[in-house]
Amino acid sequence: MPSVSEQLIPDDVAIRIEDVCIRYRTSFEKNPTLRQAFIKFGRRDGRRRQIKVVEAVKNLTMDVPHGTVLGILGANGAGKSTLMRAMAGILPPTEGRIVVNGRVSTLLALGVGFNPMLSGRENVILGGLAAGLSVEQVEAKFDEIADFAELGDFIDMPMRTYSSGMYGRLGFSVSVNMNPDILLIDEALSTGDAAFKEKSIAKMRELVSEARTIVIVSHALALMQELCSTAAWMHKGELVQTGQPLEVCEAYMKFLNVGETAVTLEDV
Amino acid sequence: MTAAHEAATGSRRDDYEQRVHVYEPHRASLPPLGPYLREFWRRRRFAYELSRTTQKADNFDTALGSVWLVLNPLLLGLVYFLLVSVLGSGGKHVSWVTTLGRILIGLFTWFFAANSMGLGAQSITSGGRLILNQAFPRALLPLSSTISALLMFLPSIPVYVVFYLLGSRLDHSATALPGPSWALLWYPPLLVILAIECFGLAMIFATMSVYFRDTNKFLTYLLRIWLYLTPVLYGIEKFTHHKWALYLNPMGPVIGSITRLWVEAAGPSASLLAASVAWSFGLFFFGSWFFISRERDFAVRL
Repeated sequence: MPSVSEQLIPDDVAIRIEDVCIRYRTSFEKNPTLRQAFIKFGRRDGRRRQIKVVEAVKNLTMDVPHGTVLGILGANGAGKSTLMRAMAGILPPTEGRIVVNGRVSTLLALGVGFNPMLSGRENVILGGLAAGLSVEQVEAKFDEIADFAELGDFIDMPMRTYSSGMYGRLGFSVSVNMNPDILLIDEALSTGDAAFKEKSIAKMRELVSEARTIVIVSHALALMQELCSTAAWMHKGELVQTGQPLEVCEAYMKFLNVGETAVTLEDV
Repeated sequence: MTAAHEAATGSRRDDYEQRVHVYEPHRASLPPLGPYLREFWRRRRFAYELSRTTQKADNFDTALGSVWLVLNPLLLGLVYFLLVSVLGSGGKHVSWVTTLGRILIGLFTWFFAANSMGLGAQSITSGGRLILNQAFPRALLPLSSTISALLMFLPSIPVYVVFYLLGSRLDHSATALPGPSWALLWYPPLLVILAIECFGLAMIFATMSVYFRDTNKFLTYLLRIWLYLTPVLYGIEKFTHHKWALYLNPMGPVIGSITRLWVEAAGPSASLLAASVAWSFGLFFFGSWFFISRERDFAVRL
């Protein structure tokens, strides 16, 4: 049945990025305050606030078909995380358009949990509700999430008592068990131990075999080569190269002038 | 769509998420309101659960926690009562029960409004992690603040009712508390009007806090001055010669109506009711516009 949505995005495409630019203004004051605004109001040089415009993503166009595992790599500050947030609908693009076809689950750098005073269980339920699920739906998935994260009794402890690995495991478990059509993972696999990493990768393979789409940002090149079907290399907001993960990783390493060492391959 | 994808997603399709999302640029403008409101309504349970669990984390859900929530405005009420009694202008004699009754109901109600604004002002700036990680209608966060303020306010109602019933028996003079009356049926609708206004104000201060992080500090002073300008410590009759001062105060008509209800057993006059509704809906719509048109900017600024 042809619909408005099909004009925006073909059925076999999960994410369509059309000529997207993302710029944001940052000021040198970390947190703007009324006090500062008042004090600086008297300045005559016209530069009451020093503002720098950051072009995080520049004219980026890309289609991500369903069932793809796309790895995005690039140096720090390449705009990878900004692009991920835009795909998740958190940051709006400044120009262009992003169309996402499917339910998105995010595991961004900050992980799950927004109130460390609340238990893991409460944070999971709140996260699910914020994502638009009903209480029954979250509760139905809860055991699966808790089992996968292997937190044991810690699930009912306040999250401030968690180690960073526990945070990471719970975050991963929530995002993969929310039945996403599209899973966005931003440098979030590095916190788990080797056993959990293996389990995570197996779970991601399972999701891919169900034709779900995964976008991963990582600096672990070996993981990218192993897991991804396509890789994209970003540099200073621009897309430099897309293609086979092996080729893109090689080109990227050549550019960085580093060899394949344990340091570049593994996320340490 | 590939057959494999169809098979995989077919069973998972349900009505709790729209499938295709389009993200486009904006300039301080409203997002498409239909989908926004639908998403907002669908996730209303989130706002409630966030309030409930936060209350629990603060131990306000325990019996002693509730006592504490009531004790704070109660003690402050006593302080103001002493202040008003000592500084009282010696006008016509009013029963102490009535004075204390008015101050208590006024303060309890005021605390609901003030907490809603105070918590609302922090709702976005303290929700940074959630806002940076998940896309959802942000107005749920100030809504949650208003719900929290309401949950903190509820334990004070039975306390007040007990005082009210005892107080009207303690003192039988002409100026005493009137006791139970049909006028009290106005209380629930007036609280709803107040709650809508509080949500509007919570959205306004939440947005301001994103742009000016010290909004909350200024809010403390603003609320203190605002309290003195609102008929909480004194009756609505103080405004007889300066009616404009009552009607220009967003909290004046509604809180004035509520205290009058309890102290004089009189429902709100048509003009008070009209002003209450006008302020409430006015601030609600302005707050919604102010907040929703800027909320996509929040993730960048946090």
